[in-house]
Amino acid sequence: MSTIAPAANGASWAPVDGVAATLADRRARPGGRLYAAVRWGGAALFAGVFALLIFVLLHESSSAFAHMGITILWRGWNPAKNQYGAGVFAVGTLLTTLVALVIAVPIGLGTATFLAELAPRWVAAPCTVLVEFLAAVPSIVVGLWGLIVLTPLFARHVEPFLKDVPVLGALFHGPPLGASILLAGVVLAIMILPTIVALSRVAMSGVALADREAGMALAATRWQVARRVVLPGARRGIRAAVTLAMGRALGEAIAVAMVVGNNTAFPHSLLAPGATLGSAIVNSFSEANPGTLEKSGVVALVVVLLGISVLVNAGGQILLRARKGAPPPRGPVEEILAVTGPAS
Amino acid sequence: MPLRRRLPALVLVAVVAVGAAACSSSSSSSSASTASAASTAGASSAPGGTLGGTADTTTPAASLTGAGASSAQPFLTRAFYDYNRTNPKLTVNYSAAGSAVGISDIQAGTVTFGQSEIPMSASDQAKATGGPILQVPIDLGGVAISYNVPGAPTNLQLDGNQLADIYLGTVTDWHQIDSSIPAGTTIVPVHRADSSGPGYDLDQYLIDTSPAWVTAIGTTTASKTWPKANVGVGQQLNSGVATYVKQTPGAIGFVEYAYALQNGFTNAALRNTSGSYVAPSIASIAAAGSHATDLSSANFNIVDAPGNATYPLANFSWSLIYQKQKSTDTGIALGKLLDWIATTGQRNAQPLGYAPMPANAQAVAHTALLQLQGADGSALFAS
Repeated sequence: MSTIAPAANGASWAPVDGVAATLADRRARPGGRLYAAVRWGGAALFAGVFALLIFVLLHESSSAFAHMGITILWRGWNPAKNQYGAGVFAVGTLLTTLVALVIAVPIGLGTATFLAELAPRWVAAPCTVLVEFLAAVPSIVVGLWGLIVLTPLFARHVEPFLKDVPVLGALFHGPPLGASILLAGVVLAIMILPTIVALSRVAMSGVALADREAGMALAATRWQVARRVVLPGARRGIRAAVTLAMGRALGEAIAVAMVVGNNTAFPHSLLAPGATLGSAIVNSFSEANPGTLEKSGVVALVVVLLGISVLVNAGGQILLRARKGAPPPRGPVEEILAVTGPAS
Repeated sequence: MPLRRRLPALVLVAVVAVGAAACSSSSSSSSASTASAASTAGASSAPGGTLGGTADTTTPAASLTGAGASSAQPFLTRAFYDYNRTNPKLTVNYSAAGSAVGISDIQAGTVTFGQSEIPMSASDQAKATGGPILQVPIDLGGVAISYNVPGAPTNLQLDGNQLADIYLGTVTDWHQIDSSIPAGTTIVPVHRADSSGPGYDLDQYLIDTSPAWVTAIGTTTASKTWPKANVGVGQQLNSGVATYVKQTPGAIGFVEYAYALQNGFTNAALRNTSGSYVAPSIASIAAAGSHATDLSSANFNIVDAPGNATYPLANFSWSLIYQKQKSTDTGIALGKLLDWIATTGQRNAQPLGYAPMPANAQAVAHTALLQLQGADGSALFAS
């Protein structure tokens, strides 16, 4: 680890007199004050913008919350009946994200392990570049591709096939319409896969060489080293990668709107068309007239989405941390940097 | 600006191109061209002269922006291009973001004109920030019920009850609709995810013809927002529905007839009030329009118009503009453009899948445009 530790025995250390004097001198100079002002100003601006964002969202959505009360969390969405609940969309958001993670996490970690540990250099190098390029592909591109290529494929082959799989088929009942919660999850999986691969590969390559050598010295195979040494060593970085990917999946709007089917019914099956908070917001926002309850309802969807993102992230962190002591709390980006070390 | 949906295939900006040089050289002389426009008006003192429905070259240079219905977009794009050939000083940017956006944008005053198949109601107009609204019919179109069903006959006939069954989800197999279609062919009902003129028309048709539909939606007032969004697949704009129908076997959707023609769709023949089944065509849409003898923005509905050869799903598309124009030049340019589109410009309708507007609808447009005013409240055009 590259952090500079204070004296290991915990004793406090006093700076050498000359250093203290120089520091005091520096602080007294206008430049020092200016820097402090910039620092505090920046921090205050950031906090201010965030506070303002929350305030505006709550203010704009207040009439919808007042109208719906707590039932906004589980009721459906039906502007014709003046009902602006986020429940169906929240379920759609969680389901599509879950499908995306179930698909993308195993494949992503497998690919990352292969690239970091097992692949020969001439395969790993170009593939790594390609994966990092894919991570930067705008979501609309993936969405459009999903709509044009995957929708007919799903309607014709994938969904009819899944219905007939024993046991698992229970998740996939209802007519195969193409656009569905499942298809949206698959499109999201494609979108977040490069993020998971790129970040967890970095985390894996940050595991100390000495640890691998120790594994090798115990006659472990390369696969065993990857599984027993590298994966556990990179655990926190991998968790960070999944967190970031999940955040992207929860909030994606346009690509999901193209393939999810934009249906306001409660999804009883993964084959059912549905809607997510993001897709509902993108569909309704420009239509709802300012000042109406519907507009307020759309903003309330934003608040619910924000709440779900925070809860899911925090919940995940707490669950994963509870097991092993209490390492200092760190955000996902910090986790990645902690593994890779400061940029050189 | 309100948030716009930025699906690339959907938001199309129709730019009537003008050479940059011509544009910059003419912009400085716009007041001069206004003066020349006034001089051609002869005895009249109206700055815009008379409205003759011609693309005369005395239109002031102007850059107009419009937003709204995607149903009117193919026609408008072609009409702007046609007008621009004789009148290169005018540029129009049109964003096909949907009728609802057309109405909210003109209410907010962020565009020169909005476009909608459903005219603004009194309460819509009350929310307009720039004063009284003029509503100008500019095209006559129809809504096709297009289907992509392997093994289906090309002349499928549907009545209101069958369509309601499909869109309520009570019938899910094409075999139940037409026994010649193999059993097990899933019906994929496609509707609009945004509010729309075609959705309003079909809702109106189903309300008129299917008691089951009325029971299910619980109202007899047609809505631009699709009332049964909990059945089938929703897509944005005509282009979104058309794309989905085109690529999904078993799909059925409602799109502006122009889009159905462009995509080479097979369209269902619908049962009209006389009991005959009529497919959408220029002639059958024109027949619906010919019954709009008392057309106005308050009396716009031509769904289920009478007549043996009438297609039951037709509508006019309305341009929404402010009566009082802040800029005289823009107002004159806008008035001349719309008057031309409503009259001479109708020559572009037929090849694209719209019916030319009947004479009385053209007169409604002309009368509305004559009420255009400058910022000081004086008339822009002489009657």
